[in-house]
Amino acid sequence: MSDVLIKLDKLTKIFHTDEVETHALSNISFTINKGEYVSISGPSGCGKSTLLSLLGLLDTASKGSYVLAGHDVSDISKVDRARIRNRQIGFIFQSFNLISDLDVEENVELPLTYRSDLDSKQRKKMVKDALEKVDMGHRAKHFPSQLSGGQQQRIAVARAIAGNPAIILADEPTGNLDSKNAEGVLALLDKLHAEGATICMVTHDSRSAMRTQRKIELLDGVILADIKTSNREKVAIMAEVKKIAEEVNV
Amino acid sequence: MMIINDLKYALRLLSKKPGFTLLTTLVMAAGIGLSIYLFSFFHTIVFKAMPFKDSDTLIQVSSSQNAAKMGSPINLHDYYEIRTKLKGVSEFGAYRTANLNVSGRDGARRYSGVLAEPNIFRLTRTKPLMGREFSNESNRVGAENVVVIGYDMWKNQFSGDPDIIDKSVRINSESYKIIGVMPEGYLFPSNTALWLPLREDATQISRVNSGNVVGLGHLKEGVTTEHLNPQVGLIMQRIAQQYPETNSDISAYLSSIQGADENGIEVIYTMHIIAILILILASINVGNLLLSRAIERGKETAIRVALGAPRSRLISQMLWESILICVIGAIIGIIILIWGLDVTEEYTKGFFPDKPPFWWIFGIDGYAVKMLVTFILGTIIVTGLLPAWKNSSVDFNAVLRDGTRGALGKKAGRLNSFLIISEIFVSMTVLIAATAMMVGNFKATRADYGAITENVLTAEILLTESKYTTPEKQAKFVKSIQSRLENTVGIGDVMIASALPGALTTTPAIALEGKEYNENKGYPRANYIVVTPNSLEKLGVELIQGRYFNSGDDGLDKSTVIVTDSFAHRHFGKSSVLGKRIRTAELDGDSPKWLTIVGVVEHTIQGPSYGEKGKVPSVFRPFSQAPRNQLTIAMQVKTDRKEATKSLRQTLLSIDSELPAFRIEEYQESLTRHTKAMLFITSIFFLFGVAAVILATSGIYGVMSNAINQRTHETGVKRALGATEGRITKEFLMTGIKQLLWGGIPGLLAGSAMGFAMSSILSISIGDLASVAIGLFVIIGGTVIVATYIPTKRALKLEPSDALRHE
Repeated sequence: MSDVLIKLDKLTKIFHTDEVETHALSNISFTINKGEYVSISGPSGCGKSTLLSLLGLLDTASKGSYVLAGHDVSDISKVDRARIRNRQIGFIFQSFNLISDLDVEENVELPLTYRSDLDSKQRKKMVKDALEKVDMGHRAKHFPSQLSGGQQQRIAVARAIAGNPAIILADEPTGNLDSKNAEGVLALLDKLHAEGATICMVTHDSRSAMRTQRKIELLDGVILADIKTSNREKVAIMAEVKKIAEEVNV
Repeated sequence: MMIINDLKYALRLLSKKPGFTLLTTLVMAAGIGLSIYLFSFFHTIVFKAMPFKDSDTLIQVSSSQNAAKMGSPINLHDYYEIRTKLKGVSEFGAYRTANLNVSGRDGARRYSGVLAEPNIFRLTRTKPLMGREFSNESNRVGAENVVVIGYDMWKNQFSGDPDIIDKSVRINSESYKIIGVMPEGYLFPSNTALWLPLREDATQISRVNSGNVVGLGHLKEGVTTEHLNPQVGLIMQRIAQQYPETNSDISAYLSSIQGADENGIEVIYTMHIIAILILILASINVGNLLLSRAIERGKETAIRVALGAPRSRLISQMLWESILICVIGAIIGIIILIWGLDVTEEYTKGFFPDKPPFWWIFGIDGYAVKMLVTFILGTIIVTGLLPAWKNSSVDFNAVLRDGTRGALGKKAGRLNSFLIISEIFVSMTVLIAATAMMVGNFKATRADYGAITENVLTAEILLTESKYTTPEKQAKFVKSIQSRLENTVGIGDVMIASALPGALTTTPAIALEGKEYNENKGYPRANYIVVTPNSLEKLGVELIQGRYFNSGDDGLDKSTVIVTDSFAHRHFGKSSVLGKRIRTAELDGDSPKWLTIVGVVEHTIQGPSYGEKGKVPSVFRPFSQAPRNQLTIAMQVKTDRKEATKSLRQTLLSIDSELPAFRIEEYQESLTRHTKAMLFITSIFFLFGVAAVILATSGIYGVMSNAINQRTHETGVKRALGATEGRITKEFLMTGIKQLLWGGIPGLLAGSAMGFAMSSILSISIGDLASVAIGLFVIIGGTVIVATYIPTKRALKLEPSDALRHE
């Protein structure tokens, strides 16, 4: 069985606004293997969020092909896209995107309720497991507004992993957090990766990107670099993180 | 200075979006205009004080039957009893309306007159313009004939003669001395042209022979009609025990002259509630539109807060928009109102055979201004405070940072739910009440009175007591005019009756042979009508059993009667009634005169078709057996109305030159008068109904659409998590249905309760009400579903990635 989870081939996204044609992404080709921890970085407007939307089947490409877990998903129906998002992809957003009317437990359970193969008991167990993984089991009955930003993002992580997706897509997961909470969330992602999760993270923070195994850099909709992060760089980053953490008394 | 800046800013914002401004202003104009119109209309006709001092304490004593307020006069003896025993009312007086024939150089004319006790003018705190009022002596039986005339009669009939006092005028073929002229505009109690002394003393006349009067009086300080009516009820109860033949089921009550305590007041209060609900509906709609704008301007508000704007300043700035919309809306509303009241004044003249009550003057008065100010303030609060509060309490830091949406939406969601549920509740209540009233009114206007009315001209004639002194003379006159008219070219059948179907008549107590009556089981009542032979047949009142009257029934010594099937069913069940005997309960003499039933005809409605009056059964007597001095002639017109009218006048002149025919009109026209007010109110309700439908459907759609639009981002999150479009649509529809049930069921109950309150007045059955309620629930439900489905589909058109970025 192949280790390739995602394979993009000449993926292109063009936006049409009035008479202006904007090439957000041009001929993007790469693969992501199972268990890989990949970052996509680049300056604002380079197309990284668009790429993540395409990877998450939140949008459709104008051209090119996208194979996910061995299936071509470039041109599938909306219902199939929804089903794949639900079963195979876990999302973590910059602004958490928790539903304010639902408590923590219900938020985490939400994607599981869209599945017909799980009964309530199974769902409750999966929610409990996910919350324990992010150390938020004690907050199950709280509402998002009663939690700090860091805690909300942990809940969002729990929601992303509750259904055991094939890949976790994180869009600037630390963008709305202070350094202390950001470190907590990144440490959580590290832990999930160590446990075997495939993660693809969009970030403009170079230190966050350095913590991943592989760094894809975009500029003006094309891949500028696709490099493995060396252990030496990683160690340096982690040392720096440790130093900062000690300073802020993490 | 700040206020001017805020005002300028609000004006700039409104001028930037002219479509929005026009829409919101017109919605408020409709809401305020319609509501004030209705309040003003009913204030004028029901609650407005009459234009003289102490009118607020002036009350009248009227009769009720089987606890239903009839608004009709009471027996003179009953009035005397109440006057003697009732505490809490001072300055008792009494009057009776009468049609009076006043002879002049160019023939006799009929006027609306009043026969009154001497204190009638003192009761209304009004002195004659010229001359004097009645003395106690003038009210004595046998005293000199005197009359006080109205200003219009003085000006028109006597050319404003300054020496009119002590001159003579012939009224009902007798000479009267004019002793006074009342001031311009004084037409008390309603539209009176002249006043005569009543000259009836209860101590000198038997209960059977005494006429009916309307009692008047002033409430003493601190006393209300609610306090006194139980006392009046007890007095009347004792009279009924003593005189069951005349007073069984009869009682009396005190009320204001304008009729604020009469039957039908429930309908008027219901209409007031509906007007308020329409205004609330309009305000919610405008409030919702302003709320959407406030949400759109969230970022701008956040910038202002970041720059140090205090919350009060933000609220005041946003309130200016509401103030401008409501005030401009009110100005447009007032223009519509002035026009509407002008039209109303003209139209309401048709409610009455003569003139409307003299205090019915429609226009912008102090009350309307007071209501206008109240409504404007209320609408500013409802439309402005909500968006102002919502926007000024926003977490400006979060808005400026463009994030943490997750923690912000709960309050907004609740607010939207509240708006939607309120909108559904108000719409449902208004529409059910308005539709129920329209159904009731429609049925009333389509009622079958039991007679053929096409091409029939009617006229009334009052035989003067001084000339037609005996029943034989009255019967002879009737025979003569009927035969002469029937032989006139252009006139077909001629029918003569004391009251045609559709007209009100007396309802004496009736005794059935073989039945025991005591004070606990009262005598039944029926409309008592006299007709000439064959009149019923010619009128098209269908014979069900037996026969119509014929010449064999002629004569005072005969005693036959025809009853309606409603009378037969009510009192004899399914058994045949022919040959059975009935009589009027009251005895004038020692021996009762039993009447044999010779025929049964279909039910005829006497009076308005709606309410209890239309259900009262009738008995008919031949004219020659029980002659009357007040007659209605109905003629089938073969050529044209003018010719027939001319022929009638000439025929009358040839029989008696001092006898005028009055209220000459088409039969259908006189029937329409019963329902004209109803038709008018139905039209108003139709207008309210249309306004309610437009406001409700557009409002529900607007609020729903706004609510769903605000949840576009949430929709994006759910779709990112794997929710299908079908699932999202189902979720929104379920939410919509829940809101429909939360708002719709209480609205259905409230609207049905209002409809039920009106059902006793209008012809609204429980079945009608249930059909209306269910039908409207389905319509509102359909609106909610459409209003949910369309915006949901629109929101789902966005790719999830776009929905996640949606502001």
